[in-house]
Amino acid sequence: MIKLEPSAASAIPKPAAWKLWLLLTVATAVLGYWMQSQGLGYYLSMISRMMIYGLAACSLNLILGYGGLVSFGHAAFVGVGAYTVGILITEGMPNGYMGFGLAMLTSALLALVIGAISLRTKGVYFIMITLAFAQMLFYLVNSVKAYGGDEGLNIKVRSDFGLGIVLKNDLHFFLLVLFLLVVSLALMQVLMRSRMGRIVLAQRDDDIRTEALGYPVYRYQLMLFVIAGAMGGLAGALLVNQQNYVSPNLLHWTQSGVLMIMVILGGVGTLAGGLWGALLLLSLEDVLAEITPHFQFYVGWVLLAVVLLAPKGLSGMPELWRRWRQPAAKSGGKP
Amino acid sequence: MSAPTQDAVLDIRGLVKTFGALRATDGVSLQVRPGEIHALIGPNGAGKTTLVAQLSGQLQPDEGEIVFMGQVINRVEAHARVGLGLVRSFQITRLFKSFSVLDNVALAVQSLQPQRGSIWRSVANDRQVYERAAALLQEVGLAARADELSTALSHGEQRVLELALALATEPRLLLLDEPMAGTGPEESERIVALIDSLRRDKHMAILLVEHDMDAVFKLADRISVLVNGVLIASGTPDEIRNDSQVRAAYLGDEELS
Amino acid sequence: MTWILFLEQALNGLQFGLMLFLLASGLTLVFGIMDMINLAHGAMYMVGAFVAAWLAHLTQSFVLGVLLAIPLTALFGMAMEASLLRTLYARDHMSQVLATFALILIINESVRMIWGTDLPLAAPAALSGPVELLPGLFYPSYRLLIIGVGLVIAGLLYLAVTRTRVGAWVRAGASNREMAMAMGINIRWLFTLVFGLGAALCAVAGALLGPLLAVQVGMGESVLILAFVVIVIGGIGSIWGAFVGSLLVGFVDTFGRTLMPALFRELFPPQVASAAGPAVASIMVYLLMAVVLFVKPQGLFAKR
Repeated sequence: MIKLEPSAASAIPKPAAWKLWLLLTVATAVLGYWMQSQGLGYYLSMISRMMIYGLAACSLNLILGYGGLVSFGHAAFVGVGAYTVGILITEGMPNGYMGFGLAMLTSALLALVIGAISLRTKGVYFIMITLAFAQMLFYLVNSVKAYGGDEGLNIKVRSDFGLGIVLKNDLHFFLLVLFLLVVSLALMQVLMRSRMGRIVLAQRDDDIRTEALGYPVYRYQLMLFVIAGAMGGLAGALLVNQQNYVSPNLLHWTQSGVLMIMVILGGVGTLAGGLWGALLLLSLEDVLAEITPHFQFYVGWVLLAVVLLAPKGLSGMPELWRRWRQPAAKSGGKP
Repeated sequence: MSAPTQDAVLDIRGLVKTFGALRATDGVSLQVRPGEIHALIGPNGAGKTTLVAQLSGQLQPDEGEIVFMGQVINRVEAHARVGLGLVRSFQITRLFKSFSVLDNVALAVQSLQPQRGSIWRSVANDRQVYERAAALLQEVGLAARADELSTALSHGEQRVLELALALATEPRLLLLDEPMAGTGPEESERIVALIDSLRRDKHMAILLVEHDMDAVFKLADRISVLVNGVLIASGTPDEIRNDSQVRAAYLGDEELS
Repeated sequence: MTWILFLEQALNGLQFGLMLFLLASGLTLVFGIMDMINLAHGAMYMVGAFVAAWLAHLTQSFVLGVLLAIPLTALFGMAMEASLLRTLYARDHMSQVLATFALILIINESVRMIWGTDLPLAAPAALSGPVELLPGLFYPSYRLLIIGVGLVIAGLLYLAVTRTRVGAWVRAGASNREMAMAMGINIRWLFTLVFGLGAALCAVAGALLGPLLAVQVGMGESVLILAFVVIVIGGIGSIWGAFVGSLLVGFVDTFGRTLMPALFRELFPPQVASAAGPAVASIMVYLLMAVVLFVKPQGLFAKR
């Protein structure tokens, strides 16, 4: 009897262990409370930053890992989200709901435009065109002196969400980030387990075949791009709050590279890969930066090693471990 | 050539496609009637691939019309033709490598569902889709391999799966691009039997592009011969077998026994 | 805009374009033949500049510094290819992007560790003065040297690719790798050679532009993007495309930077002009790429 559900071998994500998720979230929140009570506000802020980058990296993983679209301009969406909130606050509109909402909307619209044009190309041309658009935005933002220009934009207050939430408080901010992160991951899971998710995974394998089965692949790619863009914008809105500052460098193509590093470190095409990668990379950088100012050197080698030896990143560790213990076992071929 | 029938499933009229100086398709006209298997044969470089690409929508013809179920579909996009019932299989196997055999077919079945791209419909609750997929796998004899990755199949089994994918979209016309490509004698027999059953049980119209002459003569109701972009002959297998032009074109290329 | 100014900018555009060509030609060959996206190409440009600056200081001779930097950078490039990059040929583009991005980090930091963040490189004193090309048109002689060297190298490259046997192999490899391999061309050594050549060309560009643009860590990143834009416009794998693309980008960028702000000042109120002018100038090149890709999605002179 054939089981009437996705096969275990297929790339379709397994059903989420929602109870485990809830447990982890609550545990993290409790940890946050504890850290606050111990006066470890600085570390709370640090972890918040890691989670925000994790959110940004996960949004990239959506189009890169699941969609198979190597976009080199994703940092632009994060940057646009950040600047939207930053500009609104500067102009005296710190309302969080409006700010975050507009940030996501702006990023989504931008993703719609950029995606509509870029997705008509393939392969390296796609990479180049996404990169070009990101650079255009970088230069644009860089030249607007009214909002800081190349020096960046400082914000005096953080977003205001009412309801007794004071984002200046490290714990409140931490909890907000945690909440938005978990909700975003949950939405990602629902998306990838849906019918659209299956189409996305299929076109990653073979877009021509998917098209030949009757699916308008371009449409789904664009939808995915927009969703990922909105998520990136959300991360940006959080980031400008966390740093009280946003700089045009956030949109630079090298920042997109950093997000890609996080994705590959944590595991391409996995739900929380971006999160683990962000945690790993930022922790690594923090630790190394204490030891030497040349920490980028070591980060580079780690990244190179991962790409060449462990392309599945952290997610591939169990498999690598297994293969190392039993070299005679069937290897899975090129990842 | 017989007069064009009103109820031909596929009616290709005077199709022309040029690449610079090369006329890859030079005024080709042929019809596929309901329930018939119409084979298209020809030496390498005859323009079969170009013709298939125009029918499936990957290439735009320069002149001529492609009429499917009475509707001119020249301007219809490739993916939309599937919705109309014109489905192709590929000469070089194109399967979804990260999906199991079952999920490969499930994706194809999903294509026919309303809300096929919905974010709010989880794959875990798609019983209907998986039921149909399982049934299809039974039909083609791949049920035992349902949960394995498609890459685990032998080449012949992959060709069968390729066929199953096309079938899952419930086509009115199957455009089979060398389904026997690269298969051994046992495997090609299996595919021939499968195609035969399609015609027999489902009265499916099939345009079969093939090199395997045994299969062609076993299956075809009518055969058309394409050489250098021109259709030089079209008729029943017997007529083609005895056609001098065809023999001349094939001398040294294939054997027509 | 007077005629003098126009010609001056035209020459600047030509100079920039030719240097871009040195970078883009190596990049397009590597991409065309090995199908590899090499982000570290800009790093080799930087290494070439640093080595030249360092050697120029050691030998107290600009010329010696530049000349010695070329083979050293070429060796460095070939060593990188033979050891690390070779494993990337079979990998997908994203892996190549990430691995070569990692190399950028490593090389940038290494340079910083060895020489610090920047190194001065001065043009030879003999070329510090202007030359009067036409009555009233004074142009820096150093820039004329760059133009001269650029044209000579372009010419030599053209001859090498079209007239020599190795050049024929390179062209064959660029348009059809499998065919080239089937014809018995030793692909491995060809790849290493092409890589070394690309590195050498980068070194020339880096060393020559050093006095103008400042030799500093990170100089590779900004020019790398332009080089990619060039090869996308010109068509991947085509040297002629790289040449045309480089000149196009050189002119559009140069004129864009000078004309756009001026144009905006004429047409718009000062606040808009001061912000929008430079912004539009910077994105002119990307707009050019978008337009070209719209009309010819594979670039102007695509090989495949």
